Amino acid sequence: MEATVTSEMASEPGLPVEIGRIDKELGKLWEASDDTKTRASLINLVVYSEKEASLSSNTEVISAIAGKHACRAILIVANPTAKESGARAWISAHCRLQKLGQRQICSEQITFRLDGASAGALPNIVFSHLDSDLPLCMWWQEDFPEPLDEKLWAWVDRLIYDSSTWMHPKHQFLLMRHLSSSGAKGTVLCDLNWTRLHAWRFGLAGMFDHAEAFPRLNRVESLRVVCAPGQNTAALLLIGWFASRLGWTPLERADAFITPLGGRVSFKIEGKAGPHVSLFSVRCEDAHFELELKEGAGFFETTIHAPGIPESHQLLPAPNPKLEETLLAELSRSGRHPLYTQAIDIVLPLINR
Amino acid sequence: MSTEQQTFNPLREGLASKAMPDPCTLVIFGATGDLTHRKLVPALYNLAADGVLPPAISVVGFARRDKSDEIFRVELEEAARKFSRQGINDGLWNSFASSIHYHRSPFDNLDGYESLASRLDELDAARGTRGNRLFYLAASPDQFEVILENLRKSGLNEAKPGSWARVIVEKPFGTDLPSARRLNDLVEKAFDEAQTYRIDHYLGKETAQNIMVLRFANALFEAMWNSRYIDHVQITASEPLGVEGRAGYYDKSGALRDMVQNHLLQLLCLTAMEPPAGLDADSVRDEKVKVLRSLRPLVGKDVFKHVVRAQYGEGAINGKPVAAYRNELNVNPGSVTETYVALEVNVDNWRWAGVPFFIRVGKRLAKGGTEIAVHFKSVPPVLFRATGESIDDNVLVIRIQPDEGISLRMSAKMPGSSLRIEPVKMDFHYGTSFGKATPEAYERLLLDAMSGDPTLFARRDEVEEAWKFVDAIHTAWNTRSDDLAFHESGTWGPAEADELIKRHGGAWRRL
Repeated sequence: MEATVTSEMASEPGLPVEIGRIDKELGKLWEASDDTKTRASLINLVVYSEKEASLSSNTEVISAIAGKHACRAILIVANPTAKESGARAWISAHCRLQKLGQRQICSEQITFRLDGASAGALPNIVFSHLDSDLPLCMWWQEDFPEPLDEKLWAWVDRLIYDSSTWMHPKHQFLLMRHLSSSGAKGTVLCDLNWTRLHAWRFGLAGMFDHAEAFPRLNRVESLRVVCAPGQNTAALLLIGWFASRLGWTPLERADAFITPLGGRVSFKIEGKAGPHVSLFSVRCEDAHFELELKEGAGFFETTIHAPGIPESHQLLPAPNPKLEETLLAELSRSGRHPLYTQAIDIVLPLINR
Repeated sequence: MSTEQQTFNPLREGLASKAMPDPCTLVIFGATGDLTHRKLVPALYNLAADGVLPPAISVVGFARRDKSDEIFRVELEEAARKFSRQGINDGLWNSFASSIHYHRSPFDNLDGYESLASRLDELDAARGTRGNRLFYLAASPDQFEVILENLRKSGLNEAKPGSWARVIVEKPFGTDLPSARRLNDLVEKAFDEAQTYRIDHYLGKETAQNIMVLRFANALFEAMWNSRYIDHVQITASEPLGVEGRAGYYDKSGALRDMVQNHLLQLLCLTAMEPPAGLDADSVRDEKVKVLRSLRPLVGKDVFKHVVRAQYGEGAINGKPVAAYRNELNVNPGSVTETYVALEVNVDNWRWAGVPFFIRVGKRLAKGGTEIAVHFKSVPPVLFRATGESIDDNVLVIRIQPDEGISLRMSAKMPGSSLRIEPVKMDFHYGTSFGKATPEAYERLLLDAMSGDPTLFARRDEVEEAWKFVDAIHTAWNTRSDDLAFHESGTWGPAEADELIKRHGGAWRRL
């Protein structure tokens, strides 16, 4: 049983507070909540956006994840180009009743609106309101600015972003690669675009477990990926992963790779309305492997046509495409994503061809 | 007997933080039984629904009753809908169910195993399960011998080159040391120790796995984890249920064999063991065996001094009257089987000298719960003596079930102008911080067996050392029965158990 309580959501994102009194006001909030509520927190989750409308949508996402991954959420809406400077703050709580009769489990949210020059105070705003000793996850919802503020990023444990929303993916991927090898190399890069592909990678790997399928990975002739218009980076990341696993090298000025055995593998990306990626097809001379996700379906369908393998159509679980589920999946993982950086290396020369 | 080498699929690399399960066929002996319906198939479905099973998995149910694949699937679907921790998605179930097959044969018919071998070859070809076989002995223990014998005779225990064959053995692993040795010898005739996975589902529980993390990933605790700082440890497994439908088995077994020999001694091992050299299966299990070998044997008169056995009488659970054990259906009215046992156990090694471990387990107790409570020594009664305040000892509690978590009791000053000291509790609930449902123990254990990781399974020497300890107690019990105490149902056990811990200056925790 669940119940979400967010105070004064309709007009403002919580209870307005003076920035210097945030900790005291949060303390009062818990004192006033008697014994029926318990504050919980596993991480600091800072969300940065420059879009006005993001405030309500991000609050909804925080509300949805708070019951499953307790956090102190710090939501920042910045307008660096505003003529007048100003900084305002609100506090609120997302509470969830786990079982009837038990206490509600609550996560705190601190919301900031930073206008004009105050937007430059971002590192100070972040650092002074963290729940101490807990990891800092920063979800950056804009293209990354240059020069990168490495002092800020060096403090971030997990940097979350979504490369599918980038205006200039090639440049942004280069920045990320620089970030991961510079002063912020302790920061784990978490691309939600990559997180969404986890089930695709798992499904594709499973199709080649069969003893008759596995050797055909050395004889692939072409790849075809269908993705939603504007989702080319997702398709490229998936192709990049596949190619990097098999040791393929991208060819210059051609949508193709060279395999370690000297073979040539062409690839094609097609746009079609539907899920961000809806089809990944692998063709060899005598075989065809296909993983498909239909619009609205909760599962992938696998199709294998290959001599020695009985015709098979299987269903595999597909992830819930909601943003909060993708974020939760990312937060629930630990460790770095080495396959991602390897995939980027393959993807970079292929972008903007 | 097996060549556990796999053709490496490079697409699998790095997809998960732990070893991925290999494509395989799981053959369940006793496929029509309760365990298959309540635990195994729901666990397999959950693994499939969570996307952690490779698509190339087949499940073959092996049992005596006559039924088709289709009927077997329908029965399992019904069970999965009832017992799965997550709802059943029709599409995914149908896809998963297409991997389920039924093979009818009496356990003692070799022909049935030979035809099973042909069927498994067909499934390998059809589903790409690569000749990997995981045999699950979920049948009644008295059938283990004939199943293992026929697996050997039919050659099913022998893996083909590049494949593996493993066996999962459900508890009880024997009923005493000789029978455990007999069973282990039987298993060993067919499968190497490395191929043998003895399942103790307590080890698959999230909090049981967390004991090692708590101890060895936190300098704070490990530095104090010894006789200098710890006064005693209490390990409790209580349940309000009676014997329910298990009277036939339970009346022969009793609480000591049913719970202490396996689950509770495993928890004791995890609590008392030294840091292992590594996280590999044998390093961890080597340390657990050392603990079992260090247990001070309880023999002869010592048993009656350090062990209390009891039976539940009439009483009430949640306000409803319940019958005494001897009046339960299928229980011998003169039974002296213990439904409750409390023990004072000593681990005779450097770390634990003088620190008793009090273990208690019982049915029809006031409340259900399993936990390990580490009671720290008192501070010197010097500083606050003049205030007249009594100071409670620190207690670290690891809750195994339900409401998995960890709590620490400490003392704090009450706000105010006078000095009043009260105990306060720092509490970590898994459910609070990690809202998502934790996997069932069987999910983790099945996955580990498919991945070839035996860390959470009991090794032969562990099982036999545990029986050696428990058998000595039974030997003493067999000489008399006048020590059997009785307690009212719905209470926390007999007064004799309170006396046992009181002699040490302690008292049982109220859960």
